[in-house]
Amino acid sequence: MTIPAPGPGGANPTGLAAHYREFKRVLDERGIIFSFSGYLSEGILYSLGDTLRQKMTLEDTDLTTIKKVFSVFVEQAQNIIRYSAEKVQGNLGKTVELSSGMVTIGTEQGRFFIVCANTILEEDVPRLKQRLEMLQKMDKDEIKAYYKEQLREAPDEKSRGATIGLIEIARRASEPIEFDFDRIDAEKFFFCLKVSI
Amino acid sequence: MDNLVIAATERSPEVNFDFEGGQLSLKGESYPEDASSVFGPIFAALEQYLVQAEGKTVTFDFNLIYFNSSSAKALMNMFQILDDAADRRGVKVEVNWRYAEDDETMQEFGEDFSEDLEHLTFNLVPTKG
Repeated sequence: MTIPAPGPGGANPTGLAAHYREFKRVLDERGIIFSFSGYLSEGILYSLGDTLRQKMTLEDTDLTTIKKVFSVFVEQAQNIIRYSAEKVQGNLGKTVELSSGMVTIGTEQGRFFIVCANTILEEDVPRLKQRLEMLQKMDKDEIKAYYKEQLREAPDEKSRGATIGLIEIARRASEPIEFDFDRIDAEKFFFCLKVSI
Repeated sequence: MDNLVIAATERSPEVNFDFEGGQLSLKGESYPEDASSVFGPIFAALEQYLVQAEGKTVTFDFNLIYFNSSSAKALMNMFQILDDAADRRGVKVEVNWRYAEDDETMQEFGEDFSEDLEHLTFNLVPTKG
């Protein structure tokens, strides 16, 4: 997308308002309900999730769809909070850790889509890729059976719950999940996961 | 032992365990990033109660609207503990899994959870509105 550089302001086509109006128009054209990019916290997750549910309820979306979209949103956002390689940590009276990433929710061709993206370390790519490829190839019944199996497994210490989280995401999806990795530098990749409901 | 009463928060359920009366309930939503912080105290109280509940009747009401995948794992673990108490300690456990009648997701979760439980009674209870 091309966004014109902001001009000196005032009512002119290259001004501040025109610049951001164009930016918003590009988002709107892609059917985006909201898109968050930056440092994510549990508080932001709650507020965005609550607004998302209200928006869908006001538009008379059926309950099952609202629940699926909300669930995928929560799992995706919590994966960013847990696994993003781009974090800031410190002590603000209590320990605070913020994780950077992006969550975008919108509609296209009558379906909701949820995209999450974050930076991950190269060493974590093969394991994640293998898990996602496996889920991508499974049909609905296989995913359900796999979910039930993992529900009964003892938690895997290193994954902090990721296995079941990714299965939950795949289970709520109406089409096979889509994902991609884009190399940033010698150590890091940009990871992206798209789910349609 | 003392009852366990914890108010709901934005992302954790209301807990109301009346141990004396054998009436336990979890209600609301559960999607904390760290499920162990929410379920840790619940498990501790429940396990302490179950070791001394031999021959007693316990009714556990679940009235959950939404929970994330790590909470689902904790709930499965909880059902296994309850099933085990029913099996080995002769505790009569009755679970009421309540869900809105048009909520397919919560119905399916109830079915998934109940599948391998052999010693407790698991009721799927659809509710109106």
